[in-house]
This record gives sequence, C-alpha cells and structure tokens, in this order.
Amino acid sequence: MNKLAAKYLRPSQIPTKACHGCGIGMIENWLLQAIDELGLKQEDVIFGTGIGCVGRQTFATWGGDNFGATHGRALAVATGLKLAQPDKKYLIVVGDGDAASIGTSHLIHAARRNLGVTVICEDNMGYESTGGQFSPTTPAGYVTNSSPYGMVEPGFDPCDVVKAAGATFVAETTATQWHQTVKIVKKALQNDGFSFVHVRFPCNENFGAYALGTRDTLKNLEWIYEHTQGRKADGSETDFTWETGIKHDASNSRPEFSRLLRDMNARVKADMEAKRRP
Amino acid sequence: MITVKAGGLVAPWIEWEKRCTDGRRLLEAGTYALTEGAIAAGCRVFAGYPITPATDIAEYMSKRLPQVGGYYVQCEDELAGMHACAGASLGGLKAMTATSGPGYTLMHDAYGWSITNEIPLVVVDAMRVGPISGITGAPGQGEFYIARYASHGGNFETIVVSPSSVQEAFWLTIDAFNLSERFRTPVTILTDQVISDMWEDLFIPADYDGLDFVRPRKHNLMMPFYPVGDASIDVPPNVIGHGTGVCVSAYTHTEEGYDIEEMEAQWAQTYRLVNKIRHHKDELARYETFGLDDAEVVAVAYGANARTVKTGVLEARRRGVKAGFVRLVTLWPFLDELFERDCRFVVCELNYDGQLVREVQRAAPHKKDVHFMGKSAELHTVSEVAAGLDGVARSNRLPELPYIWTEVR
Ligand SMILES: Cc1ncc(C[n+]2csc(CCOP(=O)(O)OP(=O)(O)O)c2C)c(N)n1
Ligand code: SF4
Ligand SMILES: [Mg+2]
Repeated sequence: MNKLAAKYLRPSQIPTKACHGCGIGMIENWLLQAIDELGLKQEDVIFGTGIGCVGRQTFATWGGDNFGATHGRALAVATGLKLAQPDKKYLIVVGDGDAASIGTSHLIHAARRNLGVTVICEDNMGYESTGGQFSPTTPAGYVTNSSPYGMVEPGFDPCDVVKAAGATFVAETTATQWHQTVKIVKKALQNDGFSFVHVRFPCNENFGAYALGTRDTLKNLEWIYEHTQGRKADGSETDFTWETGIKHDASNSRPEFSRLLRDMNARVKADMEAKRRP
Repeated sequence: MITVKAGGLVAPWIEWEKRCTDGRRLLEAGTYALTEGAIAAGCRVFAGYPITPATDIAEYMSKRLPQVGGYYVQCEDELAGMHACAGASLGGLKAMTATSGPGYTLMHDAYGWSITNEIPLVVVDAMRVGPISGITGAPGQGEFYIARYASHGGNFETIVVSPSSVQEAFWLTIDAFNLSERFRTPVTILTDQVISDMWEDLFIPADYDGLDFVRPRKHNLMMPFYPVGDASIDVPPNVIGHGTGVCVSAYTHTEEGYDIEEMEAQWAQTYRLVNKIRHHKDELARYETFGLDDAEVVAVAYGANARTVKTGVLEARRRGVKAGFVRLVTLWPFLDELFERDCRFVVCELNYDGQLVREVQRAAPHKKDVHFMGKSAELHTVSEVAAGLDGVARSNRLPELPYIWTEVR
C-alpha cells in the first residue's frame, strides 16, 4: 500500500476486484493526492458513488463516510445530504452511465442549483460492468457489445451539458494526465459550488477489447493519449480530438445551493421576529 | 401475535390526545394536517415533486419549513425527491416526501435503497383512481399491494398506515415518523384524495417543542452499523458526516456496510429486514373495531371509505343485522389476527380488481365467507353497505348492486 492509500483508504477494502490494469484505482490515487495536497482529512470528505465498475470498485475504499447510491442517483442523494451536512466536501465518483445517461437529470439540476459537490465522472466510454455496451459518450463508429456495427447514435459531451446547466467549475482530463488531473481536482474541490471533472480512462476488458482490439493497458492508454493530442505516434491525425483542461472556471462566483436555502431561512426568521415585535 | 381488542380504536394517539390540552382548533384540509403532523414530528426536509392530490403538502411545506429552519426542495422528479429525503435523513435530518400513485411508483428505487440501508423517512401517497393518471380528483385504493412491495427483490417487510380523518392524519403522521425512527425504515402513509382534500375539524397542539411523544432523532455512532441477523428495534439510525466511517449502499452488506456476495450475509441481512418488523408486529397494530362481540358479518375498510362503511354498519345494525366493523389503520404488516374469527366478512375497497379482500381471504378461517364490494372512483354509500351486510347475513351472498363489483378470483 502506498503512503496516500495508507493515510486515507480502508485497508480491508483494497485491493478492489477491478480487473488487472484498470484505470479506476489509479485515478482514485490521484484524487487522494489532491485531497492530501489540500490538507483535507478523512472526516472532511464524504465519498459518494453510483453503480457500475466506477461505483463498485471505489465504494467503501474511502476511509471516511461512504454512500453507494443506486444507478444514477448519487447526486439526488447528495442533494438532501448536503442540506444536513453542508460543511463537508463531497466527492461524487460516478461512471458515464451514472452521470451522462440514467442520472443525467440529476446532474443537470445539481449543476443548475450549484450544489456544493465535486463530481468525478470516470468515463470509460460505455457500460462496462454490464459487459461493454455503448453509452452516450462512446465515440461515433466504435464497436461495442451493443453496437456490433459501430456506434451510430450521436453522443454528447457531458462538460457542455453541465456548463449550459450552470456548473461553476468544469474540466476535462484523462487517465494519461496525472499532474493535470490532480491540479484540476484540487481546483474543483476549492469551488464552493458544483464542480464537474470529466476523466476518460480505458476499460481494457471491454472497451479496449471490442472497440480498440486490445486488452493491453499501455496500448489503450496510448489510444487515449493520442486523442488528447490529435496525433498518433506515427504522426498521422486521429479520427477526432479531445480538448482537455479547464473548460469553465467561475468558482465561488455564485452562492452554493444549501447556502441559498440557509440565507432564505435567515430572512424568514428575521421577518417573523420583526413581526412579533410590537 | 397481537391481542385483538374488540371495541374502539387501538392507537397510541388516544393517549397523546389526553395529554395535549393546550392547542388550537382549526378547520383545515387533510394535506394541512399531514404537513403540520410532520413539522410537529420534527421533519426538517421535504423533497418532492408536485402531484394532485398531494400538491398542497408541497406548498404548505415550502411555507412552513423555512419558518422552522427546515428545507423544501422541489426536485426534478420523484426519483430525486425520495433519494434526497434519504440523503437528508442519512445526514441526520428527519425527512418526508408526498406524492400520488404516478410518483409513488417512481420512488421505488429510493424506497428499496432506504429499506436496505435502514433509513428512517416518511412517504405520503395520496391515492387517486387509476390506472396511471386515471382521474386526478377522484379517490382510489389501488396501491395497497404496491405499498407492501414498494421495491423489487423481495426479502423485506414494509410498514404502511392509513388515516381516515383529518385529525387522524395529524396524529398518524407523528406516529409514522416515530415508527420510521424505531424500526429504521421508510413508512408509507397511504391516504387518498378524499382525506387529502377534505376540510375538517383539526386540533393541533400549541407548542410542538414540548411533545414528549415525539421520538427525537438519535445517531448510531458505532459499529455495527447494521445489526444483521438480529431483529431488534430501537437501534439508532446511522448518520453520515459524524466521522463514523459508515458505509451505505445498494448491495447486500456486512454489519460494517461493506458490499458482500455471500449467502450467509444475504441470509443475515434478510433475517433483520424481515424480522425486525415481523417480530414486533404488536407494536405496529393500529385499528378500530366495533360490534365484534356478537357480529355475524363484519365490514372491513380503511381510509376515507371506512367513514361511509362505518355508517353503513350502524345502519345495518338498526335494521337488525348483527353487523360489526373493522377499520385498518395499519395496512402492513397485515393484521391477520383481526380476521381469525368465525364470521362472514364484507370487504369494501375503492378498486374493482380486489386487493385488501385477498388478504382478508387469506387470513380468515373460511375463504367462502369473505365477500368483496369493490367500487371505483367514488366512496361506497351507506345504503350500499347496509344492503351488502344484510344480504351476506341472510344468505352468505351479496345482492347485485349497480357500480359494485363482487367477483374476486
Ligand atoms: C436501474 C438500473 N438499470 C440497469 C442496471 C444495470 N447496470 C449496472 S451498471 C450499468 C452501467 C454502468 O455504466 P457506467 O455508469 O458507465 O459504469 P461502468 O461500469 O462503465 O464503470 C448498468 C446498465 C442497474 N444496476 N440499475
Ligand atoms: S470491466 Fe473495465 S472498467 Fe470494469 S473493472 Fe474491468 S477494466 Fe475496469
Ligand atoms: Mg462507463
């Protein structure tokens, strides 16, 4: 166990049952680094997940309080929890299915409300725990177990969606960008509002095997890296490019959701007291 | 096993009413009573989505909660509503949501999550006639079974209660909160359009802070978070945010809350979820009876419908029929003991498919003595009930009546 894992994680719950070479553990390590660099303690952070590989392989690893919601509902739970525990930091670690498909309405409205949580959307471009079906973030044309003739549906970029909905911090990164990811997560956690961090990582077992033709972790990571550069190792252009980095930073520019309600309550209370006075 | 008391109402608020003398008498709606009951019980979060005939609860809550330092959240849908309530409750605040059938079915995801994680909260389902949207302004009793099975997967029991007056809606809401805390589980108040929309006399206590029968929220600050394999109640609910390292999830769990895929753990968890309710059924029995001592035929009903049915029983007795009355307040767990008597039953409910009647058929000694008077979208009339009881008393058969369905197969 490395030093960060020893400091923050639950020894009994790691290693997880994730496939060998899966990026989920590595990304979690980077989250720990960000938490550590911000000087946060176990009891400062509530760790919420959904269902899927990203949910299952991170749930209960965090040494503090954990919740694993049903598929897509982590942000709905967090909306209520934040009212009761407003001073905590929230890491909501979810898959692309959780965030960009079954739970998209909660994502949009959490962004609109500026709910004070940091969503880490770990996007493996498909539903991997159910065996590798396409999702709204699967790139066009790619083969998955439910797009055997290639993905024909248009996808969407969850960063665009949450930005349009009012998120105050939006960033995109990948499992090939360690330092950038740590920097982004630190900034995200410092926003007292809705932060969205989109992290693409390869699922070797399904997306790698069926869409990219290999279960080799390094080859799959290389494919992701090439798409952040727009260029393959041989110098040719990739079929598309992901622009990574901070997409939108309006951190702390408008009140956080639970604060809005607390401020309203203070106003109501003051009005009631003023009326009571003769 | 519960001891059946023949005659009168069996419910904790009989005592509460005696103790509460200082208060206000109002003319108010059922939705108002449900809201004030929740506030009195210490509810500080309402998260939901408006729907007739529960909308007024949301509106009242949006006004009342900020006055007591609580939070009203108008969610994007009922899925979010109940999950947000579960989140708030996990954070230590008592929470309630309110809906009607179309929203109630959307809540089942959160309902199951709350059951398995033993999260106390209260759900109001103001039933209207269905299927689906049906008629928004007409009463129904179509969610009797859905409320019992308010989530998939089996391996759990649920607590469901139903008021039959505006005043009772107030007390029963406090009771529902207490039960949800004691049993660490969501409780459904299964009410209907008539009780929600109806205006009636309502007494509410002057000072909610001094109500000693309101069970305050306690926190479980130590492992085991889930006493699996143990049916005990009155275990304080788990809390997120107090550094206990609690784990809450959708999976079969260990007593630490860790997900586990082992049969022993599955059995131990099921033992708890089922038996914490089954083994304490006597604590859950709320019902009203009269005339059972000499009754040859007993009318059975709940909710708004029990009001006209009760008068129908009185009318039948006036005509010389030895008629009795059972009104269920606790619908689930089902109070079999009330029906373990050698007499005939006429079950009056607001649906044509027959739901409550099937449970009475199961619990009563002789299925052939259990009759169904189903009606849709409208309460039974007094004369219908009296005629039904008369017919069954005479010949063990229901007379043919317009708009009344009698067949259950
Ligand atoms: C309501 C519901 N529908 C379907 C499923 C089955 N299911 C479990 S995980 C999953 C997809 C997960 O995809 P994603 O969120 O991207 O996570 P990943 O496994 O790819 O990490 C599905 C469809 C479920 N658990 N719940
Ligand atoms: S199936 Fe894919 S995403 Fe899931 S654990 Fe294995 S490699 Fe990781
Ligand atoms: Mg995925």
